[in-house]
Amino acid sequence: MNLTDLQALEERYLMRTYRRAPVEFVRGEGALLWDAEGREYLDFLAGISVCSVGHCHPAVVDAVREQAGRLMHVSNLFYTEPMVRLAERLSESSLAGRVFFSNSGAEANECAIKVARKHAHRRGVEAPEIVSFKRDFHGRTYGALAATPKLAENEDLGPMLPGFRSVPLNDAGALRAVVGERTAAVLIEPIQGEAGVYPVTDETLLAAREACDKVGALLIFDEIQTGMGRTGSLWAYEQTPVRPDVLTTAKALGGGMPIGACVTTPEAGEVLEPGDHASTFAGGPVVGAGALAVLDTVDDPALLRRVRELGASLREDLLALDGVREVRGRGLMLGVGLDEGIDAGALGAALLESGLIVNVPEPGTIRLLPPLTIDPTQIERAVALIGDSLLSCSPT
Amino acid sequence: MRPRKRKPFESGSLADEAADRIATIIEAAERAAAKVIDDAEVQAREELENAQARADRLAAARLRELADELDPQVHLSTAPQPRLRPVESVEVEPSVDGAGATPRRAGSAGARLLATQMAVSGSSREEIEERLRSGFDIEDTSEILDAILGPEE
Repeated sequence: MNLTDLQALEERYLMRTYRRAPVEFVRGEGALLWDAEGREYLDFLAGISVCSVGHCHPAVVDAVREQAGRLMHVSNLFYTEPMVRLAERLSESSLAGRVFFSNSGAEANECAIKVARKHAHRRGVEAPEIVSFKRDFHGRTYGALAATPKLAENEDLGPMLPGFRSVPLNDAGALRAVVGERTAAVLIEPIQGEAGVYPVTDETLLAAREACDKVGALLIFDEIQTGMGRTGSLWAYEQTPVRPDVLTTAKALGGGMPIGACVTTPEAGEVLEPGDHASTFAGGPVVGAGALAVLDTVDDPALLRRVRELGASLREDLLALDGVREVRGRGLMLGVGLDEGIDAGALGAALLESGLIVNVPEPGTIRLLPPLTIDPTQIERAVALIGDSLLSCSPT
Repeated sequence: MRPRKRKPFESGSLADEAADRIATIIEAAERAAAKVIDDAEVQAREELENAQARADRLAAARLRELADELDPQVHLSTAPQPRLRPVESVEVEPSVDGAGATPRRAGSAGARLLATQMAVSGSSREEIEERLRSGFDIEDTSEILDAILGPEE
């Protein structure tokens, strides 16, 4: 079956929710992917920050294979060891409280929203509100969607879940003004990913923490993209002047297996009770085993230091290219702001054509999310390809 | 018992044979000694790594405790309490977009928490120092760094 056949079947059977690039990938290893015709690509997107340990990392593959051959699923009515061990690892490496597993990042945020609303009800708040930043992305399930202001404007999908408000990114004054007695939580992406890699400033984070403390609201960090070592520390909050009460993680956690988690402080972990929340597949032994193998690889000071060093040198190399206006982000989560007049979409397409996979989250920006295990020579190759393509895409 | 009859003395070949045997014995002894040294080195390295790992764990635990002290948790059963120690207010210029800026000052709870969390996550003294300077405009970072990482040697 070739690409044309796949496209014909897609047109007949799949909902038209994605605009896919015309490439069929059949194999991956480390930072490399191969298409059905045997062409090699350097992957600087890593499945949107999912394959942070590289494609088909041997330890993850072995763990998943071994567990799949032993026990795949029993439901959350029983115990399985990988799930419990993973909860321990996540808790001990972050907020020291409890964990709820899900199958995705959006679902992890749904859990966080439930925790925040119930926590607010305990404070006597009748109609709790969640505050997020404009251009945040928290997911596409209805709760997460309501906290994603841009997507929540789609009236065709309405009515949206009530009780969500938003303020401009890094407007600490607006944030302070909107957080009040009814606020259940401030939900923050410490670095906005889908918007184009825009970090939240320290000032804004401190304002959010203080505003939450003032009224007893929870501070939630959506670390679905920033977590698991992406920014050079296991969690992005570790490089900020605040600690959240709740953090959500997914994407890289499973190394390609679908898993999400909502992690809390000990206090916030006491909010949900039996019957409040559940999931059939969540925290299953196979994804749990895979995630433990990912954590074994990523939760390593040497690897995290390497992420910071590679990120710093990549940033420097990119800034030296003609056509690059700025580089935003931290570690190996970088948004490359292009000079005015350069079509980021055309650049992304040209790079794909030349064998480099990047993402275009907004006009004027390409987003780079290479595997954390990437080789420095592969980074050099990517910079050279970006430099060459920028020359061809720059306005004359 | 009669003494065993000895072979006639063949000085050249016997001496060579003895020399060969001695050389072999010395070689084996040297190999054994080298192995003992290698084993000792491996064992020492393992001990050192284990000790380092234990020290790292203890340091991380202590740093987490420090972070907790900087960020006391609110008990759900009680009225909301501030999580961070109040940051002293100082006059600041309003930002261009009118956003209210959070005061920055040396030694603020936020700066100390940032430094502690970065230390827990494995950042170097230089990385923490750079972040404190860029994020908090702190000129002399030694007080915070010394308190968290210990004085520079």
